[in-house]
Parts: sequence; C-alpha cells; structure tokens
Amino acid sequence: MSAFPIHAAFERDFLVQLIVVDLNDSMDQVAEKVAYHCVNRRVAPRKGVMRVRKHQSSELFPRGMTVAESGLKPTEVIDVVFED
Amino acid sequence: MAMHPRKDWYELTRSTNWTPSYVTEEQLFPEQMSGHMGITLDKWESYDEPYKTSYPEYVSIQREKDAGAYSVKAALERAQIYENADPGWISTLKAHYGAIAVGEYAAVTGEGRMARFSKAPGNRNMAAFGMMDELRHGQIQLFFPHEYCKKDRQFDWAWRAYQSNEWAAIAAKHFFDDIITGRDAISVAIMLTFSFETGFTNMQFLGLAADAADAGDYTFSSLISSIQTDESRHAQQGGPALQVLIANGKKEEAQKKVDIAIWRAWRLFAVLTGPTMDYYTPLEHRQQSFKEFMYEWIIGQFERALIDLGLDKPWYWDLFLKDIDELHHSYHMGVWYWRTTAWWNPAAGVTPEERDWLEEKYPGWNKRWGRCWDVITENVIEGRMELVSPETLPTICNMSQIPLVGIPGDDWEVKVFSLEHNGRLYHFGSEVDRWIFQQDPVQYQNHLNVVDRFLAGQIQPMTLEGALQYMGFQCVEEMGKDAHDFAWAEKCKPEMKKSA
Repeated sequence: MSAFPIHAAFERDFLVQLIVVDLNDSMDQVAEKVAYHCVNRRVAPRKGVMRVRKHQSSELFPRGMTVAESGLKPTEVIDVVFED
Repeated sequence: MAMHPRKDWYELTRSTNWTPSYVTEEQLFPEQMSGHMGITLDKWESYDEPYKTSYPEYVSIQREKDAGAYSVKAALERAQIYENADPGWISTLKAHYGAIAVGEYAAVTGEGRMARFSKAPGNRNMAAFGMMDELRHGQIQLFFPHEYCKKDRQFDWAWRAYQSNEWAAIAAKHFFDDIITGRDAISVAIMLTFSFETGFTNMQFLGLAADAADAGDYTFSSLISSIQTDESRHAQQGGPALQVLIANGKKEEAQKKVDIAIWRAWRLFAVLTGPTMDYYTPLEHRQQSFKEFMYEWIIGQFERALIDLGLDKPWYWDLFLKDIDELHHSYHMGVWYWRTTAWWNPAAGVTPEERDWLEEKYPGWNKRWGRCWDVITENVIEGRMELVSPETLPTICNMSQIPLVGIPGDDWEVKVFSLEHNGRLYHFGSEVDRWIFQQDPVQYQNHLNVVDRFLAGQIQPMTLEGALQYMGFQCVEEMGKDAHDFAWAEKCKPEMKKSA
C-alpha cells in the first residue's frame, strides 16, 4: 500500500478533485476511485467503460496499467472519460 | 479667522514637493516602496488628480455621510431584516462582510504607502484622505453586522474570516496581498485604485445596493452606497499615475500591472459576487444578472477608461468575455456542494422558475450546469443526503486560491494549466492565472494553497473534518448549510416527475 495523490477531472463533472489512489492500483481501479466522488453525486450514471488519460491527452492509459507503471507524478492531473 | 477660498491656494499646495538635501531622492523614495520606475520627482509633479478636496471639506462631508448611514441603521433596527428577509439575502450579507470588512484595513496600508512613498504630491495628498476613507469602511462594516452576532454566529466571521485559514478568506487575502500590501505605492495606485476600485467595487457596492434596496434592506443599501461615494473619489488616483508612466515611456510596465489586477479581481468577484447576484438574491429582487452587471460596470467602463488613457485592452479580453458567461456558475456549484467550508449558507437557487431565468440569461445553462443540478436535486428529493456532500477536497488554483472548474454536462470542458517550477508542480485555473505566476514567480512560488497544506501534513487529522477545523470553524452552527434547508427541492418535484 502506497498512497498516491492525484488530481482528477471526470467527464461531464464541473471541477477537478483531489483523489488519493494507490501506486498498485490499475487504471480501472483509479477510474472507480475518481467516479466514487462524481457519479450519482453530480454526474448521472451511464453505460460505457471508464478510461484514464493524462489531462488533455489523446492517448488512454492501458486499463491494466498500474499507477506506478504509468509514470504519473504525484499531484499530476488526469482525466477519466467514457469509451462508448 | 477668515479662511482663504480653496481656489486661491489649492494648486500651490497640491504641487508642493520635497527638495531633499540631507538624503538623495532615491533614499527618500526607494524604488522598492515607491515604484517610481526611475521617473524623477519633477515629472511626477504633473500628476493631476481629477477630484480635489481640502481637509475641512473632507471632514465635513464624511461626517454627513456617517451620520446618514448610522441614522438609517438606528431608524430601521426594528425592521427585523434578519427575521424577515429571505435566507439567501442574509447569506449575501454574511459573504460580503466576511470578504470585505477586514480587507479594508489592507487598503488603509495601501493608501498609507501612497501617502508616504508616491513621488506625486497630488497622489500623497489624496491618499491621506483615502487612508481615512478605508478606516471608516473597515469600522462601519464591522459595526453594522455586529448587531446580528447574537442571533447568528456566522456574522462573527465579518471579523474572523481574515484571521482564519478558510479557503475563501485565503483567496481574498492572497489577492489583496498581491495588489496592496505586497506592492509599491505606484503599483497600489494602478492595481488597487484603478484596476480594482474603478470597476469592481462599483459593481459590488452599487450593484448590491440596488439589490439590497429591492430586498427591503435599506440599512445595507445606505451603508454600501455611502462607502461607494468614497471609492469613486479615491479610485481616481490610479488614472493620473498611469498617465505619468505612459508619458515617460513605461506603458508596457503599466499595462502589465493593469492586466494582472483586473484578472485577479475578476476571479475573486466571480466566486463571491457571481453566486450572490444570480443564485442567492431572491428571483423577484434581482435587478440584473451578474453578466449584465459585468457588462455595464466592468466591460464598458474599463474599455473606455483604458482607451482614454492610451492603454490597450488586456491580451486575454476574449477569454474574459467567455469567462463571464461560464465561470461563476461552476464556482457557485462548488461553493454549494462544499458548503460546510463557507461561513455563509449558500442558496441553491435552482427551482424551476430560477432555472428558467438562468436559461434566459445564460442560454445553454440547462444542458451544462443543469445536468449536474438534476442529479443533485434528485438526490435531495429521494433523501440520499450522503450524496449531496463531498468526501474529498477540490483541487485549488495556485493563483486565485479558488477550485479548478470548467463547464459540466453536454459541453464538458475542464482545462487545467500546469507548470513545473523549481521542482514543484503548480496548477492554475486558466492560462491567465499561469501567465501571472510566470511574470513574477518569486512573488508567488512559496505560497501553499489549502490542498498543498493538506498534502504537506499541515492539516490534521487528514480528513474533511480536520480541514474544517483547520479553516477555523468552531462549531457546526458556523459551517455553511443550504440556505433554505432544501425546501427548494419540493418545488422541483413536479418537474422531476415529468422528466422521469
């Protein structure tokens, strides 16, 4: 267990939030942790796979990649977007 | 003793300047405190303040102003504004007093700096009056809310906000430190009086005075109108200072100071005044939308003033106009959702009638912010209250100290502007905020925003509750709650059923 702070924007939500993830989390787990603070709170649930990318990047991280493998720096900004 | 008419002596006294002989001009007016940019004393003597007054005239007029405001307060003490006004209006009062009252003392410091260190005698003279103006503003805006403290602890934040680590108070202090206490005399003339007071205090004090009168709060209306008459006088110190700088080849430096201060003032106003005008003020008492106020008081006024002086519109003007349509709606949602971190009770302001008004004033509101409010409203109606409060912190801008927001819903657009500087990663809410940082990193680089402090372990325990304690809330009654105790959601039920 190694806590790792990131800042995350979630598709259709209005802001960026501090989310504490784990270095061993996969990108799917990161997406779930971000979604917890957005979906059903201010964003209506929807179908589709949630994917993680560096903020404003056109490339998505592989779903199974861990935070440690991703090269993300602490407090860097990510986006969670839906892949329909 | 007979007194000479002012016209016989004023021109002589207002241009009387020091001729230093025991010290050098630079020792008398050090650049760091004066900000003269190497322009010599004789050139600053051309500074011509448009509003001229003498001390006896000043004292006489100020006495009348104070007597007027205090007598209205005394006459209306039994009007029971606190008991009878809409809770949204009471929230506007609390937000205003906490954000402004003690900040007036920072303005005393700024006026004092001009009174001592400006090379322009006319500026020093006017700033001495300005200093007394700001003392009056600090005192009167602490005295007026004091009567409410016994009814509602949140009014104590008129005094306490600036002594606290509450996020909005930090945002206000960071801004005022940047344009007032952390700047030289000429920068204060440009950034405080020209950039901030000319436009933004007009809007805060005259715009809000109109809403106050409409809401029946004549005490507050007369108070802030009284203050604004001072502002409109001492705000005129910046224009002549800009003229001296431009005439002496310093347009670029002057323009940068204007650009920084207007943007920073805008962001603070968007979070404090935007929600009060478009969401807290009851619909029937709204005179104009925040956007309409902005266009009337800021856009038109600044465009004219800048061009008249020979300056340009700030480089970010198009971004500014876009922001006026969008920014405060997201700020409002953030303040409401994180309402426990505010010293006032945010009014949601999203009943069907209010949403219609928002859609009319801001076409596209429903498919943007409305999408989020749909989810929030349904949660309130269904009693899922655990979902209408946060469990983490919003990310905060390293310049404005306000959460990083964008457009939600169908037109989703959230953009963060980051910068790695000396090994530290900074995040900004706009290109302009990042640009301001880059103009003078030393001015800003060591400041930690609330989230930085949280991650640095300065906030213990590291929970939302720990953060609330750190911000200075002494009890639950002081923390913000929904202004109408969610009664607005009842009005939304039929609409929700229709869309279900």
